[in-house]
Amino acid sequence: MKSIWKYIFGIIGLSFLALVLAGSSASDDKLHLISCDVGQGDAILAVYKGNQILIDGGPDRRVLDCLAKYMPFWDKKIELVILTHPQDDHYGGLVEVFRSYEVGTFVANQVDSSTAGYRVLKNLVEASGVRVVNPTDNTSFRLGLLYLDIVHPSSALADDNKAKTGKGVLGAFTSSRDLNDYSVVAILSLGEFNALLTGDIGPNLIPEILARGEIDDVEYIKVPHHGSKNGLTQELLERSKPEVAVISVGRNNRYGHPHEEVLKMLSDENIKTLRTDELGDVEIETDGDTYSIKQ
Amino acid sequence: MKYFIWFFLILVLTLRLITYNPKFSEGQKVRISDTVSSEPIKYSYYQGFNLQGLKIYLPSYPEVSYGDFVIIEGVVEGRELKNPLLIEKKEGRGVLYKLREKLLGNLRKALPEPHSSLLAGVTLGIKSGMPSYFWEALKSTGTAHVVVASGMNVTLVASFLIGLLTIFLPRGKAIVMAIFGVWFYALISGFDAPIIRAAIMGSIAFVAQKVGRLNYAWRGLGISALLMLIVKPNWITDLGFILSFLATASILAFEPKLEKTFSFLPKVIKENFATSLAAQVGVAPVIFLTFGQFNILSPLINTAIAPTIAPMTMIAGVGSLVGLLIPDLGKILLLLTIPLTSYFIGVVKLFA
Repeated sequence: MKSIWKYIFGIIGLSFLALVLAGSSASDDKLHLISCDVGQGDAILAVYKGNQILIDGGPDRRVLDCLAKYMPFWDKKIELVILTHPQDDHYGGLVEVFRSYEVGTFVANQVDSSTAGYRVLKNLVEASGVRVVNPTDNTSFRLGLLYLDIVHPSSALADDNKAKTGKGVLGAFTSSRDLNDYSVVAILSLGEFNALLTGDIGPNLIPEILARGEIDDVEYIKVPHHGSKNGLTQELLERSKPEVAVISVGRNNRYGHPHEEVLKMLSDENIKTLRTDELGDVEIETDGDTYSIKQ
Repeated sequence: MKYFIWFFLILVLTLRLITYNPKFSEGQKVRISDTVSSEPIKYSYYQGFNLQGLKIYLPSYPEVSYGDFVIIEGVVEGRELKNPLLIEKKEGRGVLYKLREKLLGNLRKALPEPHSSLLAGVTLGIKSGMPSYFWEALKSTGTAHVVVASGMNVTLVASFLIGLLTIFLPRGKAIVMAIFGVWFYALISGFDAPIIRAAIMGSIAFVAQKVGRLNYAWRGLGISALLMLIVKPNWITDLGFILSFLATASILAFEPKLEKTFSFLPKVIKENFATSLAAQVGVAPVIFLTFGQFNILSPLINTAIAPTIAPMTMIAGVGSLVGLLIPDLGKILLLLTIPLTSYFIGVVKLFA
């Protein structure tokens, strides 16, 4: 019977150690906004007091490494996951996220993508029974003092062909428009700190978004479309007046992102530019009052 | 007469090796119909797996999984099937396949990376979802064998079961139950070549050894290895085969001595420790040679992580099984592995 006690003591010892480790990996009171290094693609994680928001999942499973690094080990639930638009450099990793994490609410457009990968994601979302919300510029979310306001797509654009079911659905219609036009654009705020998250939005829609008047002075901008020429405009910079710009882009990517003109636009305005291909994960920490770039 | 059978087997094997031709010729257009017997490795926009000795890379979707039946056409080029085209895919519907998926799901839902991948590797031999940086770290520290399906996993399961069962049962019955356990484990962890041969060699050697007839064990191991090679000559260069053989052989050779050396340790720890250390003595040089990364500290690193492997495997196995019935309890059990996996990962990262 002696060896039973060994097992029992072993279990007690491990429980104790696990609790110690749990204590040391608990979240602090600050908002951590991380642009994950997922190669060519977007994955932005906001961690605030045990709640998480994930905006896009990058192309593949690398997003899991970022989640593991910035979330406590026992927390396998992400409160809010947003897919800006159904292209594989944005949704690819979400397939893995849905397989490994519980998701509170999934926010995504109704516009469909015909790719096999997106079908897999839709099936996973459906099977998990997660609440789905189709966003419009009237949508907003709140997690404690953390706010997320959707500023695009407009209800007019989102409602085109929309399945009027009252609850969120995925892949309700296909569109001949560029999928980038449906990109969810959102402002994440805590106190005085505002971050503008822009998906893959381009110059054709920026005037229309600005005309709705929801975007003004922000501290942080995620440069649209991985720094493509078909992304950031002077007009958007002048209106949003960011201090820090983050470009989520892969090393030596085949598109030549970020484009020189975009980098010049940012340096001309003296905006501090941080790139995931150069720095890896880019983390900003804020208490809602001041913010700092974590190295 | 005693040596005749050995002579005969070796003669047959030699003939078999000489007359053995690889199935495919260079540049040949082939259509392969087979069941996928290893977990495909996933890359950003494609997935890779082996079928009948050929490496095949397909687009990420539709996803091919372990156990699927596929028909693929392509052109043979070296050891790769170029321009592969997936003609048909039938999903694996076996009960055991589903069980394995569920166990893997339980691990993934309970723990973050790379903890969940490490546990999937040590318990089920699955390494397809493993972060690439972690796999590289394992290779460079000479610890990759812990996540390769080899004789070691099988031996660990067997010694755990024996250790546990002898508490309640007489030794003879415990051994019989343990052998059932080993084969059940072989089924769950993918009833494919490496695990089957590990189970064959492992159970022969293990039983003979526990029964106390070491000679039988050596003979059993030798004959089973020869017979397997006569049936499957291409295994002679297969890493998994060599590892299983060496792991079993070095357990036979070194375990009793190591158990004496570590006689100051408590019994449960000592047996597991001696077994895993013994297996590593034989396996380590091959790992060095194969992965081309010689880490002079590897024996030290392996000794440092060895004590975590057995309890890690046990708790992960029990936790993911319990999770099938009571998900929350399973999750709590799996969280108990965190100190072990954190230590393991810390050591590997430190030396990588």
